[in-house]
Amino acid sequence: MKQLKSLKNVRWLSSLAFLIVLYGITGIINPSFLSYSSILSCFNSSVVFTLLAMGIAFVIMTGEIDVSIGSVMGLTATIAGLIAQKGGSPVQMLIYAVLVGIVTGMINGLGVAFFNVPSLIFTLGTCGVIRGLVFVVADGKTTENFAGPFTNLGSKVLFANITMYFALVFILAVIVHLLLTRTKKGKYFIAVGDNPNGANLVGISVLKTKMIAYILCGIFAGISGVAFASKYGQVNIVAGTGYEMSAIAACVLGGISLSGGLGNMAGAAIGAVIMSSVSRLLVFIGLSSDYDNTITGVMLITIVVVDALMQHRSVEMARRKRLLSRTMTNETKEGGEEA
Amino acid sequence: MKTLKNLFKHWEFILLLLLAAEFLIFGTVNPTKFLRPVSIMSSITNYISICIIALFVTFVMITGGIDIQASSIVGLTSIIIGVLWSDAGLNIWVAVFIAIAASALCGALSGFFIAYCGVQPMVVTLGGSFLYSGIALLVSGLSATPAYQGISGFPSKTAEGAFVNFRFLGKGTLFGVIPTQIVIYVILIILCYWLLHKTKYGRKVFLIGVNQQAAEYSGINTRLTIMSTYILTGIGASIAGVLLTANVDSAKYNLGSSFTLSIITAVVLGGTLSTGGKGSIIGTALASIVICILRYGLPLCFGISTQNLDLPVGVMLIVVVVGREIGHNQQIQMLFKRLKAKK
Repeated sequence: MKQLKSLKNVRWLSSLAFLIVLYGITGIINPSFLSYSSILSCFNSSVVFTLLAMGIAFVIMTGEIDVSIGSVMGLTATIAGLIAQKGGSPVQMLIYAVLVGIVTGMINGLGVAFFNVPSLIFTLGTCGVIRGLVFVVADGKTTENFAGPFTNLGSKVLFANITMYFALVFILAVIVHLLLTRTKKGKYFIAVGDNPNGANLVGISVLKTKMIAYILCGIFAGISGVAFASKYGQVNIVAGTGYEMSAIAACVLGGISLSGGLGNMAGAAIGAVIMSSVSRLLVFIGLSSDYDNTITGVMLITIVVVDALMQHRSVEMARRKRLLSRTMTNETKEGGEEA
Repeated sequence: MKTLKNLFKHWEFILLLLLAAEFLIFGTVNPTKFLRPVSIMSSITNYISICIIALFVTFVMITGGIDIQASSIVGLTSIIIGVLWSDAGLNIWVAVFIAIAASALCGALSGFFIAYCGVQPMVVTLGGSFLYSGIALLVSGLSATPAYQGISGFPSKTAEGAFVNFRFLGKGTLFGVIPTQIVIYVILIILCYWLLHKTKYGRKVFLIGVNQQAAEYSGINTRLTIMSTYILTGIGASIAGVLLTANVDSAKYNLGSSFTLSIITAVVLGGTLSTGGKGSIIGTALASIVICILRYGLPLCFGISTQNLDLPVGVMLIVVVVGREIGHNQQIQMLFKRLKAKK
């Protein structure tokens, strides 16, 4: 049992180790990668993914899933783009993004937690609806030609090559991680995902927790949409399609179990960095970007299979130990009766 | 009255009503354009890949799994056929056979990890969707044709403009009216229906979905059965890929990459429980057709842009699943009863 517990605690460390190994291998093949600026550029480019992965991590921790985040991101990116066309301020965009996130999150939460619809199916439906809204809001056109300094924000460097976005996201990730691991309320997400009935019995409202998880997920997806718009400078109507799958993959890489109750925020953030680094690393290794998906797929499958086998083994060993100790106590009992 | 009530308990009957309602609404709004058998059939052939894959994903969902890699197998099949035919110079039918075998292998690989290693189906097939679409892109690199262009010029067309050989699968018609694709679809529906509802194998699939442990204890090789459902889906996806390639006359690595959500929508709408143990082939087939007609009728009769068809389909999915949940959930029913009593 102790072994299992320690395994849980170091889960994000193992994905960090994986990231370092990945960078190390690239460095061995092409030493020019191991410079401060190229490694940092990997981090800087991971901002959108990190936000999405952190958002969906809340939901996955509670044992549900949300495939609508890609379209939520597309919607807020489009709205941000429309505001930017008129020269509006980023604060205004963020307010809209958060509002959109809260509304979509509440709808998802209501469907999943209150009506008990399987989460994949319900969010699949909202995904289609929100994607349709993107089309309506954008009037079927690509949103581009942003006015003002909005697009420059993405490349704004604070100090030592660290962009403002990355710094903000990094601080956010640390805060959320600490909130989830150190505070009582933060642990509710894991508790609900691990054992909903148990959580209910100790007085945690499963409905409320799942609701909050979905709302937070929506807010994070909304904010990532603003980051997306400012980073790419244009938003077409299919922006964000498939991002939900990458975000889920990032969480899996970060050691968050899709059945819920296992993992933490740091893992999600690291997983997102791994996901977005792959295509950059390929450039340094000298392979074409065609290998991007193949390597992501192999990586994902390998990690989850190894993880599953390891978990299986530790559970099996614990079971054996338990059985062994039981038979031993039985033997001593019987021995005592005979005497 | 009682028989009518019993009928309503069957999900397929409700789907049939939905289909009838669609025909009624679209037919009254725009009878001249909508009620043409040729265009109705073409509305189904437009989404035939989704219809076909949904049939096979039903098997997977009944065992309690999920398959989101099928859409990437469509592209893989297409590009394998293209490269083997145009660059390796193989006979087209040999190429088709190899492509289907490769897809079955892809399904088997994912199925193996799911059934024998105990990884969640969602994760493995997510990885699989990355992996197989990646492999498809790599395979397309072997061809002399640039990946974005797509390999075209498949055999063949006669001088009179009739489609024969490989293209017959995608564009040909039987008796001059019924598209070959629909004939193949009907055959597949019958085949799947037989396999799921009339054979021992189908009963095993259902039992695994209801209770895997009970199935294991009653002597069913659950792992092999679960793996076999993923192999079936792989084969189904590759049949869809063959038909799609033959239809558009272009072998591309990213054909069908956007199908995933539509496939699952069709299966779920067809009454299959995502937790497993319940579902039917007829339901899936009817639901697929309902979606096809909706996608065909809305732009025609209400002028909705074809790019914006996700919205109505999404709304339909949400309304149906929430409605079904309210119908089944006794707590919510009690709530409604109490509200009524208060009034």
